[in-house]
Amino acid sequence: MPMKIPLIGVSAEIEKIRDLIKHVADTGLNVVITGESGVGKEVVAQNLYHASPRKGKPFIKINCAALPDGLLESELFGYEPGAFTGAVRKKKGRFELANKGVLFLDEIGEMSNMLQAKLLHVLQSGEYAPLGSERECKTDTWVIAASNRRLEEDIKDGIFRKDLYYRLSTIKIHIPPLRERPEDIPYLIDFYLSQYNPLFNKKKTDKLDQKILNIFMEYSWPGNVRELQNLLKRFIVMGDYDEVANEILYRKSMAEDLISNEIPTKELPESPDLTDKNFINFSDFSSLSLKEIKKKATDHAEKGAISYVLGKTNWNRSKAAKILKISYKTLLVKISELEIKAQ
Amino acid sequence: MDKPYKLLIIDDEAEILATFNNFFREKKYDVLSASNGLDALKLIESEEEGFDLIVTDLVLPNIGGTAIIKIAKKKWPEMPIIAMTGWGEHPQALAREAQADLVLNKPFDLFTLEQNIIELIEK
Repeated sequence: MPMKIPLIGVSAEIEKIRDLIKHVADTGLNVVITGESGVGKEVVAQNLYHASPRKGKPFIKINCAALPDGLLESELFGYEPGAFTGAVRKKKGRFELANKGVLFLDEIGEMSNMLQAKLLHVLQSGEYAPLGSERECKTDTWVIAASNRRLEEDIKDGIFRKDLYYRLSTIKIHIPPLRERPEDIPYLIDFYLSQYNPLFNKKKTDKLDQKILNIFMEYSWPGNVRELQNLLKRFIVMGDYDEVANEILYRKSMAEDLISNEIPTKELPESPDLTDKNFINFSDFSSLSLKEIKKKATDHAEKGAISYVLGKTNWNRSKAAKILKISYKTLLVKISELEIKAQ
Repeated sequence: MDKPYKLLIIDDEAEILATFNNFFREKKYDVLSASNGLDALKLIESEEEGFDLIVTDLVLPNIGGTAIIKIAKKKWPEMPIIAMTGWGEHPQALAREAQADLVLNKPFDLFTLEQNIIELIEK
């Protein structure tokens, strides 16, 4: 059973979400939770679970973006021995594990079309077939899905199935980004500091003075609550608010730098999709060790990020190094190793 | 009618809701209305005797029309519900599956709606 993390905040939006949870948690109707990365979609899912009659039953989570298609399918539905080479014994799928409880499907927008169709079938019939099995299994699972994508746009673009969306989104809960509800920030700070403090057992946390609080509240928090949490953890270690405030100001200036450096006449690279799984062919697992896969993935992500920042800074390498928080020398080495070229 | 029929009307478009409200109030119906799913759900929860009929849009903020239909039918299995959909791309199949007694495509005229309402209540 997941730990119960309360939904923190006093903004009208958060109050509304609390109210919604209270009223829909016992209906068992499918829910879609949307919002940017780091806003707390899983926290809302857990609160739904804790307020529902399924509390105490399993709460099973799966991140649809973290696994390639074939693996995700066998994770969701399980398999029988001999379903494919290497399937020596039976494996229970998440639908089976979540029976009578909740299945939280995070990053549902990343699911392939093939799996979307299979998921729709489960939602319509309450049945699914494990890989390699001829019989259908019944499941009584409350599906709560989450996405940081605009699924309605994805439907228009033909990436996400309309019928699946309608089925999943019987109830929709949208969590706005932190920058749209700065009044929640002091409450989040209080909550997380009191959570972390006994954990880190460091210096006593003093109340923030207004000046520093203002810095927190005026920052745009692109990483939302998760970014705030990480900064607070650092604060607990460093024990100094000025340091954290400086870090925020630094991030803010970097973000502004990036914006002011955008040159409209020149074509800029697309924001890199670091989760793009196409750079590697997962069907040749046999030819690559996990270590090699990891190296490939890291190289791919690094190359994407570095090209992007170089594009944004108009190939100003020292500025790019600063933004990427690596030394100038390291950047030059990476540019040559990863064969990054100006477009 | 001896006792006025009690209706719950749910639509997120203020103009449509106001038009419906005025029309049925003038005809001496007892009308409650909600502009989103959560407000509608609260009315359903607090209502003990039930309504004679619910008219709901299918696409609503937060709690959708199909959810409202399922919840209301669970509480009052006999109560008729009319679902409204618009622009030809809405999930009519889902509305039927959620046991809406009738699905109407917008736009329709209010006299037709009233006739449907009376037929369903007096069936």
